[in-house]
Amino acid sequence: MDTPTIISMFFAFCGAGILLSLAAPSSRQGHVLAWLGCLASLALVVAGASALLAGQTFRQPLWTLPGLAATLTVKLDSLSAVFILITGLVLFPASIFAGGSGGNPPGPSRALPVLMFGLYASLALIFLAGDVVLFLLAWEVMSILCWLLIVAARKKENGCTDSGYLLLAMGEAGTVAAALGLLVLAVGAGSLNFSAMAAAAPTLSTFARWAVFLLTFLGFGVKAGLMPVNFWVPRAYAAAPRAFAPVLAGATLNLGLYGIMRVNAALLPASLVGPGIVVLVVGTLSALGGILYATTDQDLKMMLAHSSIENVGIIVAGFGAGMVFVATRHPALAAIAFAAALYHLLNHSLYKTLLFCGAGAVETQTGTCDMDQLGGLIQGMPLTALAFLIGALSIAALPPFNGFVSEWLTLQAMLRSAELSSTAVKIVFALCGAGLALTAALAVTCFVKVFAMTFLGMRRLPPEIPVREPSARVLAPMFILAALCLGFGVLPTYVIPALDRAVRPLAGASAAAALVPPFFAANPAHTTLPVAFVKAFHPIGAQVGQHILPGRGLVVLHRGSAANPVVFAMSTSYMLIVLVGLLLLTYGVIRLGLTRRRRLIRRACWDGGIRRLLPEMTYTATGFSNPVRVIFDAVFRPTTVEDTRETVAEHFRTAIRREKQRVHVMDRLVLEPVRHTALKLAAKLAAMHHGRINAYATYVLLALLAALTIALLGRGL
Amino acid sequence: MSQWVLHGILRGKKTTAYPARPETAAGVSPGRPVADHYPVSALEALLARCPTRVFSSRDGQITADPRRCIHCYRCVRGLEPPVDWSNTYEWALAHEPRHELGRAFRGSIHICVVDAGDCGACLNEVKQLNNPYYNLHRLGFFITPTPRHADILLVVGPVTDQMRPALRKVYEAMPAPKRVVAVGACALSGGVFAGSFACARGVAEVLPVDVQVPGNPAPPLAILHGLLVATGRQVPAVGAGSKAVPA
Amino acid sequence: MDQAELKAEMEQRWPDLAWRSSNAAALAGEIMGAPAALPELCGHLFLERKLGFAGLIVEEGATAWQLRYVFYGEREREQVHVLVETPLVGKTFPSIAKFVHAADWHEREAEDMYGLVFTGHPRLGDFILHDDAWQEGVEPMRRGFDAAAAERQRQPDADWRPRRIVHERGAFVMPIGPKFSGSAESVHFLLETVGEDVIRATPRLFYKWRAIEKLAEGKTVHEALLLAERFAATTAFAHGLAFCQALETIAGIQVPPRARLLRIFLAELERLRHHAGAIQEICESTALVVAHSQAGILEEDLLRISGELTGHRYLFGLLAPGGLLCDLPDAACAKALAQASAVLQRLDELEKRLRAVSSFLDRLEEVGSVPQRTAFVYGLVGPVARASAVARDLRKAQPYGGYEKLSFEVPMEEEGDGYARLRILFAEAGQSVGLMRQAVAALPQGLGAAARSSGVTPLPLRPGAALGWVEAPRGAAFHWVRLDIDGKIARYHIIPPSFANWHGFHLAVEKFAFQDFPIMLSTFDLSVAENDR
Repeated sequence: MDTPTIISMFFAFCGAGILLSLAAPSSRQGHVLAWLGCLASLALVVAGASALLAGQTFRQPLWTLPGLAATLTVKLDSLSAVFILITGLVLFPASIFAGGSGGNPPGPSRALPVLMFGLYASLALIFLAGDVVLFLLAWEVMSILCWLLIVAARKKENGCTDSGYLLLAMGEAGTVAAALGLLVLAVGAGSLNFSAMAAAAPTLSTFARWAVFLLTFLGFGVKAGLMPVNFWVPRAYAAAPRAFAPVLAGATLNLGLYGIMRVNAALLPASLVGPGIVVLVVGTLSALGGILYATTDQDLKMMLAHSSIENVGIIVAGFGAGMVFVATRHPALAAIAFAAALYHLLNHSLYKTLLFCGAGAVETQTGTCDMDQLGGLIQGMPLTALAFLIGALSIAALPPFNGFVSEWLTLQAMLRSAELSSTAVKIVFALCGAGLALTAALAVTCFVKVFAMTFLGMRRLPPEIPVREPSARVLAPMFILAALCLGFGVLPTYVIPALDRAVRPLAGASAAAALVPPFFAANPAHTTLPVAFVKAFHPIGAQVGQHILPGRGLVVLHRGSAANPVVFAMSTSYMLIVLVGLLLLTYGVIRLGLTRRRRLIRRACWDGGIRRLLPEMTYTATGFSNPVRVIFDAVFRPTTVEDTRETVAEHFRTAIRREKQRVHVMDRLVLEPVRHTALKLAAKLAAMHHGRINAYATYVLLALLAALTIALLGRGL
Repeated sequence: MSQWVLHGILRGKKTTAYPARPETAAGVSPGRPVADHYPVSALEALLARCPTRVFSSRDGQITADPRRCIHCYRCVRGLEPPVDWSNTYEWALAHEPRHELGRAFRGSIHICVVDAGDCGACLNEVKQLNNPYYNLHRLGFFITPTPRHADILLVVGPVTDQMRPALRKVYEAMPAPKRVVAVGACALSGGVFAGSFACARGVAEVLPVDVQVPGNPAPPLAILHGLLVATGRQVPAVGAGSKAVPA
Repeated sequence: MDQAELKAEMEQRWPDLAWRSSNAAALAGEIMGAPAALPELCGHLFLERKLGFAGLIVEEGATAWQLRYVFYGEREREQVHVLVETPLVGKTFPSIAKFVHAADWHEREAEDMYGLVFTGHPRLGDFILHDDAWQEGVEPMRRGFDAAAAERQRQPDADWRPRRIVHERGAFVMPIGPKFSGSAESVHFLLETVGEDVIRATPRLFYKWRAIEKLAEGKTVHEALLLAERFAATTAFAHGLAFCQALETIAGIQVPPRARLLRIFLAELERLRHHAGAIQEICESTALVVAHSQAGILEEDLLRISGELTGHRYLFGLLAPGGLLCDLPDAACAKALAQASAVLQRLDELEKRLRAVSSFLDRLEEVGSVPQRTAFVYGLVGPVARASAVARDLRKAQPYGGYEKLSFEVPMEEEGDGYARLRILFAEAGQSVGLMRQAVAALPQGLGAAARSSGVTPLPLRPGAALGWVEAPRGAAFHWVRLDIDGKIARYHIIPPSFANWHGFHLAVEKFAFQDFPIMLSTFDLSVAENDR
């Protein structure tokens, strides 16, 4: 089957899903969502994979809009294919989860599956759009569906509608900015079609380039959750229904990234260093800010939302580095950076969906997402804990899981900034590299806390709440995602060549060639690596498996230019083998060597000899992350309200109540001033309306003059 | 900081030669009564003076049970004739039969000290072991806060009711093989606290005791002797008695 | 303040009170009060007359409860006892802790020991007898207490939970002990924290409670003396002395002059040794290894000096009611004095060195500060109180045993922090050696070489009750002794200095960084054995 057919089948499944959800009884809604969702997402996976691996891209004009001189076009190029594939991979388990978990409580209303299928279709359409009109159309539909899913599909609760409106308002503001940016580009190209726009890009002036970049980056940055326009993210995530949260985290966040990549790499390849630096810095700051708030948040979902901001920041920083490399004509490095960004995007979608499923499962089973109240859940839900642990290890970038590979590649790409000529740019790269390294370290702290406080230690929940494993329909998607996390972690040498098809047109060089050399056979035909160099890798066995395994081997290796011969190499595949070997060896040594002839006595944890260790005597999540909170006090700026109570008389203190309140740094620096200014402005504007006819005539005249001036200036351009 | 190191070095070596050679400095031990040559005829007067029934007569000879002595000196001060007094310190007694020590006791030894209602003196003497005069570390002994690493459980105090579960917990948390060294008259017989409803008559009521170190408080050298006895590096004092001190 | 003036004022303000003048040394008088007037009366003495609160002594008479609230001032004959007597059937009294915060723990102790209820006290129960160890209704100090029955009905509260004061998101309790650190005394701390900073620390004491007050009942005075010496043996001599002084007051006898001076000599030797040990602990808590070792050498030196002089390193077996059990030769005392002076010189050297180490001072300064007013309200005593500018030295305030004839100073500091407490310890060590020197110089000659005793005034055994007090190394200690017809102990109540200072310990440890906890603990110079009794 060719890709257009598969794509058509996808839309057919979505349509069928909508019809069936409307027709089926409410007890069957979950099944409809799960089965048809699976089929639809499988179609996406197949379409994306065949486009990426077999090169089955296509371009299909649909119809020309009369009057606008625009032709609606559907196309699937390699960049779209990556996003389609990722979306399919996420939606497959997410559909099963949504079908299985939505039932509790209060049962998926009819609206949820209908909206979900609509959202699936609009997601795919955004990636498939070949022109500005279809793209913006699909984008609008998606925005409204997301808002409906948060607001309408859920009973109106406190804050929930607010979050939905904020999401919608921010989304619309972003759309307007992005649309303006795209229009500037379209005006320059004289066409609304993406390919025509890309063809005309080189003729654009520097001013127009900056305008396009800033407008689109701001517009898509809102959707991606970049600083400083990300205040909607945690609010929306916390308010999203359990069934929808994994999709929101795994699939819709990618849209903003798609927009940024589409514009800055495909439509308007970077020729200036400036935009790349902006992207890099914004990405790094988002990553740092995100992880700081994630580390110190106690609510599972909020924490995951902040962590999404962090990961998007890493992706964008990697992408920004690639933009700088493109602008400075380092195609191989740009390829590495783009590949790292796309790889991280793929990974983040997988483990974030997994973690959101886990958080949803925890919330369903215990009724809370507050880590200060959880603890010890591993006893009741060992399988959930295992899947969650794999997600946490992946997101904390620990080998051999997938997060490690992409973060490692991103950092390596940053380090290669030594090749650049400008000292100022090098300094920016060095600072951003340090920022990302700090982010990675904090991420480990953060997810140690999350896993330990939720699943380990003593149980803090009241005994009347039974903690049991969720149903198979909730567990299965988690384990599918966990397996994907491990798979994409240990097989980077197969993933990078697949992504390469998308990277090559953007960077102008092959990431696979730069990162995954063919097996280290001392093959004279293979000229990129010197024979002596290849021989050096022989004793450590990098060529093992070359006649058994297909593909290019299991080692990721980059060798810099002749002027700057930096080598970095890594293999999570071998690492997995060594790790498993070491684990088995350790187990064997302990089991057979150390404890075979000894009596094994198990005793309770040493507690200082108190009569009974109580759950309130163990670390809480807040307590665990408090050092981070104290160190970064300047960022968080908490306000503490303390209330000390005494009974009877002075000195008999019965209660010290303290409440720490903090306003997110972006709310403080951006949202509040914007709101303040807007209100002030509105007040000023209101003063203009005093009802006198001649005043209004003056306004009209002024407006006319302004319009004429703009028109004249526009002709001059 | 370097000044401190220099200052410490300039103060010279203070460490006792014990156990290589006996310590001869004055005031290192409170001593204990020796009644072997005390006239049996004066036993009544002696027993009237002694508040903890240290003395008893067996086979026409008076014997003193050092585990009961609380150093009240009433058998030497204000009594005619006074009993003999010996200023030794190698007092530790060991139980027979002794179980196999095992390899764990050949290397360095970690000691977990538990205060089970001690008056502060025995504990202070244990603390003295860490100062330069006694320098416990030179003999391979280390005091550890956690029972998880401990080979020897050193208990001071008569074991109060409210400390009893904690003491048991410490003992159970220790890995085997382990030794229990009870230090001080209170830990051996309850001392002056024997008879209180809120404490036991010594550690033996709660745990199996391997080495008994008499004294009230047991001076540092006696405790050191006890530790060496517990690890089989010194012979116990003669007169190793029955398992528990009779009430 | 004049005795008559106080009496006049009291009679004018509370006309229905009975004022009973006393001829006992230092005692201004006893005020017999009705329970209802109690809080206000005690509050007046404490807050307006600024008298110190020594403690509450509960006695179960044949038909009536007698509650004795002991106040003392800074000047001579300024000790006031407020007495309340009610029939045994009533067990309810008003709490004075509302005005006299220092009485907080005394009332809790009385509640635990006798089952008395102090209305208005917010925190009764779970004090000496832990609720997770003993059932309710065990009142061990009652005359009819049956220990065997209490043991048979043993039913600890399995659901005991620590009382938490800090209410903040994510707050938890960090438990420490009772077995913690290398060779620390057994005590349990509940540190309330939200991570990083500890907001409040609550000690849970009495793990080591041996019930010696109960044990002493029915014993002879000589047997009870052994308990007085041995319940807190690092300050054995001071407590033994307080007990003996109470007996001597009951009997109305004078101690021979030589024995009196030797008692001062030994008490000050003990103070010097204790302070050297306390300084060592402070050095240890700041991880200053060489200073810790050097102070350790000095402590062991002083233990050996004591051992050589008296036979016992902790001065056991010397005291006897009416005098001393044995004489100490002048030459031996002179030698001990010379040795102690040498130790003091090295102690001064150590102080000079420590003052030059900024990292050491940084860890002590402004750590565990207790302001003067709080120190007063909590009734802190000893070096800890003096570091917060509250003098309370019984050797000056309520002189006993011949201190009034010797000249010495009471060192005072104002900061109330860890460093101030350390300076007090050093300064007091110097004063102690000075006192020892004066005592040796004043020793009367003329006792025959054959005398084995410095002279003991025979103690006629007669019924009665009296308070004995000393300034123990850790602060004011009060021993209340009542003898029955046979001269046996009917009631023995000890108010040790650590009881007062443990009560105030949480003041020093509010809102601190966890790593400062050992330093606060060591500078507060607390003994668990002394407190737990």
